[in-house]
Amino acid sequence: MMLEIKNLHATVGGKAILKGLDLTIEAGEIHAIMGPNGAGKSTLGNVISGREGYEVTQGEVLFNGNNLLELEPEERACEGIFLAFQYPVEIPGVNNTYFLRAALNAQRKYRGEPELDSMQFLKLVREKLEILHISDDLLRRSVNEGFSGGEKKRNEIFQMAVLEPSLAILDETDSGLDIDALRLVARGVNRLRSEDRAMIVITHYQRLLDHIVPDRVHVLADGKIVASGDADLALKLEEQGYAWLDRGGIQSLDIDLKA
Amino acid sequence: MSALAQQWSESLRSATHPQVLPWLDALRLRAVEQLTKHGLPHRKDEDWKYTPLRVLEQLGPAVATGVRVENLTPAPEPELPAALIDSADCVIRIHDGALAGTEGGDQPGVSVLSLSEGLEQHESLLRKHIESVDINGSAQAFASLNTASLDQGLVIHVKEQADAGTVLLRWTLSGTADPSIHNFRVFLLLGEGSRMQLVEQYESADHGGSALNVVSHFDLAREAVVDHLLLQNESENTILMSSTYIEQAQGSRYNYSGFDLGGGLVRHELKTVMAGSGAHAAFGGAFVLDNSRHVDNHISVEHAGTACSSDQFFRGVLGGRSRGVFNGKALIRPGADKSSVRQSNANLLLSPLAQIDTKPELEIYADEVEASHGATVGQLDETAIFYLRSRGLSETEAKRLLVGAFCRSVTDRLENQELAGRIAELIDQAMPSYESRGQVL
Ligand SMILES: Nc1ncnc2c1ncn2[C@@H]1O[C@H](COP(=O)(O)OP(=O)(O)O)[C@@H](O)[C@H]1O
Ligand SMILES: [Mg+2]
Repeated sequence: MMLEIKNLHATVGGKAILKGLDLTIEAGEIHAIMGPNGAGKSTLGNVISGREGYEVTQGEVLFNGNNLLELEPEERACEGIFLAFQYPVEIPGVNNTYFLRAALNAQRKYRGEPELDSMQFLKLVREKLEILHISDDLLRRSVNEGFSGGEKKRNEIFQMAVLEPSLAILDETDSGLDIDALRLVARGVNRLRSEDRAMIVITHYQRLLDHIVPDRVHVLADGKIVASGDADLALKLEEQGYAWLDRGGIQSLDIDLKA
Repeated sequence: MSALAQQWSESLRSATHPQVLPWLDALRLRAVEQLTKHGLPHRKDEDWKYTPLRVLEQLGPAVATGVRVENLTPAPEPELPAALIDSADCVIRIHDGALAGTEGGDQPGVSVLSLSEGLEQHESLLRKHIESVDINGSAQAFASLNTASLDQGLVIHVKEQADAGTVLLRWTLSGTADPSIHNFRVFLLLGEGSRMQLVEQYESADHGGSALNVVSHFDLAREAVVDHLLLQNESENTILMSSTYIEQAQGSRYNYSGFDLGGGLVRHELKTVMAGSGAHAAFGGAFVLDNSRHVDNHISVEHAGTACSSDQFFRGVLGGRSRGVFNGKALIRPGADKSSVRQSNANLLLSPLAQIDTKPELEIYADEVEASHGATVGQLDETAIFYLRSRGLSETEAKRLLVGAFCRSVTDRLENQELAGRIAELIDQAMPSYESRGQVL
């Protein structure tokens, strides 16, 4: 088992957000997480990647059998966890390429692999840029500074493509993308799909899942996974929204739930 | 503290000097009297409010007299930290407040002289500058001290239209069992349309708590251009007092960039008077401090001629228990119409015990003046730190990147790319310890 989350409770600023969340993911799988705004989806991503201020009060998170919660954010990254931010951060004055090479080399060093010099790194980067149709110009700029919404999201996927994580969490990477950008993002994600990688795709829309077909779809509401199913569940959710949550639960929905 | 001023005065009263000039003898005596009468700056002196001088007590009672060098001869290189720039046209070493050797500086129209030689060749010009320095009152004590002991100095004269290229001044202090205060005077006399890039490096191999009190004069004739870069990377027991007086004629340009990455107690006073029209003065700098270091930048710009522009741009990064001061004054005199003046000071506090006092002051008495000023104090952006860490960078590296980026706004202003790169590296190395969640990382 790659990721095992058991009875996870977490608070932010003293407020309980995750309230007993269970989730298990095997290597090679893609899981989609859907759910209403404010349900705790981004909180889950932040807790898994170790953001300060997100306090786990109960439960456990195991990554490849090891306790993830005792690791620093950079150790988690080096262990292979990647979060594509819902709101990527602008960092004026820090060069995109410099930053990414430093990050990749920090991870390689952690794994006992030789660091890449700037020539080797550039070669690697060129290939990935090709896939995402990102112009060289983006590399010369400061991290996300002055990027359009779509450029920021593509930059997240570009970083993912370079860092090649074993577990990637994409937090609403599709929001605000036009259809072409969405296709490119999906292409970047699908290229990375492999037997020893897993992904959590947080989204509101079916359209990304048309391109990245998930193995499992979960509904996160009020800090818990309230329903899980296969790819069809996402279609139903898109049609019917989340009103059923108040109406008496998932059973009121005309779907076939597979445990 | 005032006892120290008395002891210094006492040691100066009996001193003899190599230059015998009646006006200079009289001025030295008057400066000793001022020092005796007023003592050292104290808290009630508005200009010294944020810079206590208690650490001066580590100094001995005598003012160092240095090694008397009358003629400049190359001396063997002692062990020195790497030079900030390799391609200088002239390298001058000043060790313990005395000239210790020069190399180069022989371009046409350029003369590099000791104070004695300078007084022989340019007496009236030097006298004008020496006498223009205010030595009255406790706030001026370091100017008084420098004048009272005035006999060591450097004069660089650049003829009209000549280019002195890059001049590197390397300031060093030696370790002594009995640390004392050293004084030195610099004159940079730039003729019409002449140019110079001056690089000052204050960095000693090792030393034991001594002090340096430097007074410099820049005389920029019409259209003269000076780029002045200063790097101070001294140990924590070093005291540096530097006062720089700049006089700018019509159309001249003076461009200062100061980087303080070390030192114990450091004060830079920079004053320019733009008497001619269309002159430009820029003062940029960064201080990146940790431990208990203290760096004070006091800038004063006076617009007297019309259509002059000035720009003050300082960035401070303070860790540990360090303390930074930025006091930037700009005075636009009546008649100095069409002036443009900018002041900006932004600071990052990396530790709850670090402190910054920032005080931009703007006084405008002329018409059609374009002015902007701002000062900010903040902390590193936690979201940005998390973003960088989530990609695998350690907290220290993340912080280093962010501080480097913060200071890059200053190094980006340097025209010389070699120097900009070198300074950025040194800023990286000077990174203060960073406190977060109560731990020092
Ligand atoms: N830093 C924070 N401080 C306080 N409350 C927060 C913070 N981050 C998230 N929350 C709250 O936690 C809840 C869940 O937020 P989030 O995980 O972002 O939801 P989702 O991503 O599912 O829309 C929301 O009520 C939100 O207001
Ligand atoms: Mg969210």
